[in-house]
Formats: sequence, structure tokens, C-alpha cells
Amino acid sequence: MSVHDGADVPYASLKLLAKAGDGGQGEVHAVGGPGGLLYKSYREPHKLNGAALAALVSLRQALAAADRDRLDRETAWPLCRVTDGGRVTGFLMHRAPDVMTWQTSRGSSKLVELTYLLHPPKAAWQPVRQPSPAERYTLAVVLVELFQWLHAMGLVIGDVSHANVLWTLRPAPAAYLLDCDGIRLVGQRPVLDQADTPDWHDPLAPPGTVSVDSDRYKAALMIGRVLAQDAYASPGKSLKPVPGVLDDRREAAVLRLWEQAAGACGTRPDLGQWRTALAGRDTIKLIAARPAPRPAIDRSKFDGAKERGTISLRD
Amino acid sequence: MQILPFYLLCDESGSMSGDPIEAINEALPELHHEISTNPTVADKTRFCLIGFSSSANVLQPLVDLSDIDEVPALAAGGLTSYGDAFRTLLRCIEADVAALKAEGHEVYRPVAFFLSDGIPTDDGWEQAHKELTQSRFCPKIIAFGIGDAEAATIGQVANFRAFIQQEAKVSPAQALREFASSLTRSIVRSASSIAADGGSGFSLAVDETVPGFSTVSLDKL
Repeated sequence: MSVHDGADVPYASLKLLAKAGDGGQGEVHAVGGPGGLLYKSYREPHKLNGAALAALVSLRQALAAADRDRLDRETAWPLCRVTDGGRVTGFLMHRAPDVMTWQTSRGSSKLVELTYLLHPPKAAWQPVRQPSPAERYTLAVVLVELFQWLHAMGLVIGDVSHANVLWTLRPAPAAYLLDCDGIRLVGQRPVLDQADTPDWHDPLAPPGTVSVDSDRYKAALMIGRVLAQDAYASPGKSLKPVPGVLDDRREAAVLRLWEQAAGACGTRPDLGQWRTALAGRDTIKLIAARPAPRPAIDRSKFDGAKERGTISLRD
Repeated sequence: MQILPFYLLCDESGSMSGDPIEAINEALPELHHEISTNPTVADKTRFCLIGFSSSANVLQPLVDLSDIDEVPALAAGGLTSYGDAFRTLLRCIEADVAALKAEGHEVYRPVAFFLSDGIPTDDGWEQAHKELTQSRFCPKIIAFGIGDAEAATIGQVANFRAFIQQEAKVSPAQALREFASSLTRSIVRSASSIAADGGSGFSLAVDETVPGFSTVSLDKL
């Protein structure tokens, strides 16, 4: 079974059911059979980097069982590619957990996207239960840990937005990452050229490029926006965490990193720093070992006037 | 905040009675639902409903759709005064843009979806249309014709895109459901490309083809 071994699946073998989603890059359909899988098909398969998609599938296959379970629990990772006549047309993935969906008043089911954490609640989406300050804090920690783990695996997340991160409070605060075909191995080309989401782009990154550093900027946006319940907060502007979410020590640490995130590429706080800040730990400034003192130089050997004699060639 | 205002100008003349007007009235909750449950879209868009027959009425003044839970229904009756519809739209846009700016928002050029099932019954509607399209905040107009509407007139009303119902294929009510879906998609997709601070502008995402409709060329004069 290819979902288990990661081998390509022929399109003809899929039994496609109802359309579950429609995005800029393609469509998502439910697939008949065990596992409640989804099939994402690309609108422009000829633009696809099939090798990059294969690399994501292989990465999951190479993980130890516990890590693979975590990946499946926290992301909609590509399980295997789908091919049609030798061309890659899309991939299979797991459906988001049921606890990350909500029923609207008209009876339809929607995903609990990050956006519902970033706006003051409205009647139209009342069924989405809002977190208590303590739960909001835990969600921020969960997100930081997920991003830190993906970075530790040598991945660049690329596009982070209000729509591709899901969350729940049941049974405990948890997060789930969508659109994982936008993720790439550091230094590798992505599956598809990925446009940034408005309000989530790194102003200092060259347009169209993403890196670990732009991920760090976007992680800062995500963390700050979750803590402040403000969809448009960005480093460089002041951050006002929701009262009760952070104690004084954590707030001071978070605000320091928030300021730092506005800095140049290469200076943004990494996920480990966010984790430390959210843990409320002080940091101890370490002083790097001093280089060995250079020996004193006798400048007279170099700077003195030269006395050039002559060498007699006849003797 | 960067705001994109949408106006729906809907024909509610006598000929719309029955299935057509019901189709629109049933589609409005669906449109409201799609947008109000999406805070990112609701934040950046506003919606106004104008019904027109012998005269035009602002049924729902420009609003953030997540702030309302009911909207006046369209009711069929009367003639088809395009002129009054355009004059009302122009008046609304001028007041709305000023009000949004006063609240500290930046405003993109408004988008107007115009829907009619007949030919205009008023003289001088072209003059009102001209005043609208030559105004400072001239909206991008997407016009849809169903039933007895004429392609030439619908093409004349639009300045962005125009569609006419394929009568042989679908009923007016079916066409109107497609029209409403297309309007909803336009709002959601356009808003999704808007940055809160304006950023690098946005792209107005209006379907190039709508099921049940033929696209009317705007190039022919």
C-alpha cells in the first residue's frame, strides 16, 4: 500500500469523492477507501518539481515510527505522489483531525484556521470556542515547538498564514499545519513557486524567496499575532499581548524578541529563543572565549630603514 | 485598513417575480455566510445592496458583513429604471468612500455587480451611467443580464466584464444562483490578495467565465 511505503500511486486507481477544497494551486478531493485520505491535484502539473515532492515523501518514510506519528499528527504531510501516465499530478495526504473543524450555523463544516485566533470573535463564527488566556499561551508554545521541530529536520516552511495553520483546544491545545507541499529541504527548490500570503510576507526578504530566516520572521508574526489576538501586528510596531496570557517576565522576553524580529535577515530570533522566552527563563549572556593574545611584534624588524649592501660577483 | 467595497445592484422589477427573485433572496444568506465566517475577508471588504425597479433603494447600506444578521429582502414590482440605479450607486459611493476614509481606512476603487433581467424603461439612463463612470471614484462594473436583457445594453453598462444568460441552457433562477456564487468567489478571492496596509495593491478576481452565462465582449462599440 503506497500510503505506507511512499511509492507513487496511479491516478486511475483513486476513487475520487466530493471536492473538499479549492485553492490557487489546485483542488482537494476526498478519496474513497480506508484512512479518510485527501487528494490534492495541481492545476498546472507541468510546472511541478516532482523530485521535490518525492523528497518530502521520502523524508517522512525515513523517520522513526514515533517521529512519523508526530508528523502525521501535526501536519498534512504528503504521503505519496499521484501520477498519471508518468506525470505527477498531485499527492495524497491525511484529512485534518475532526477536532480542528467546526460546524457553521448553516450546517457546513469549516476548518478552525489560525485566523479565528487573530480576530475578536464575531457572531457568525460563534461555534469556534475562544481560548482562555492560559490556552492561548499554550497554543503559542505548541506552534513554536512544531516550527522548531521542522527547522531541526532541515526544512524551510515557506508560506505561513492565517489559513494554513489549524488549531484546537480539545482535548488539549494542539496545532496542525496544512499546505505542507510548500515546505522544502533547506537549499532545495520547492515543489511549486509559492506566492507569499498578503500580510504574512517578510519585507526584507527578496521577493519570491523564502529561507530559514524568512521562516523566523513569519514565526514571529504568528507568535505575536496569536499572543496579541491581532491579525495585523508586525515587528516594528508595538505588540500588546492579551491580558493574562503572559506574566511580566515572559512578556518582557517576548517583547525583546518581537523587537529583534524587525531586524535584518540573519538577526531574527530562532525558534529556540522564542521557546525560552515563552518558558519565562532568563538567559545568561555567554562570553565567547577570548582569542589567544597575539605575540608582541618587533616593528623594527619590519619598519626600519634597510641597509642594502652590494654582493660582489667577482672574486 | 485597506478596504474593497462591493455593491450589488439588483433588478427587482415586476418581471423578476417568482423564481428569479427567490433565487437571489436565497443566495444572499449563502454569500453572507461565506464572508462573515472568514474574518480575513470580512475585515477587508464591505458590502452594499441596492434594489432597483421604478426607483432605486439602498436596502443594505455599506457594511462589514460580519456585523449584520439580517438584510432586507428583494421584492419584485415596478419598472426597470437603470438611471435611478446608477444615480443611487454614485451617491452611495461618494458618501461611503468619504466615511471609510474618515474612519482611517484606505479605500480601493469600488466594485459594482449589476444584475438586470430586462431592458431599461427610463429615458436618459445613459446620462446617469456616464456621470457614474466619469466620477472620481468610478467603480469597476461587472454586469449580468438574464431573461429579456440585451447583450448590447449589458455590455454598455459594464466597464470591466459582462455576461448574458444562455437562455437555452439554464433557467433565470439557475443563472442567478451561478451569478451569486460568482459574486461570492470574487469577494473572497479579491480580498485574499489584499494586504492590510495596502502593500503592493491587489488583483480584482472576477471569473472570466460563469456557468450558464456567455461572456459579452466589451471591445465592441
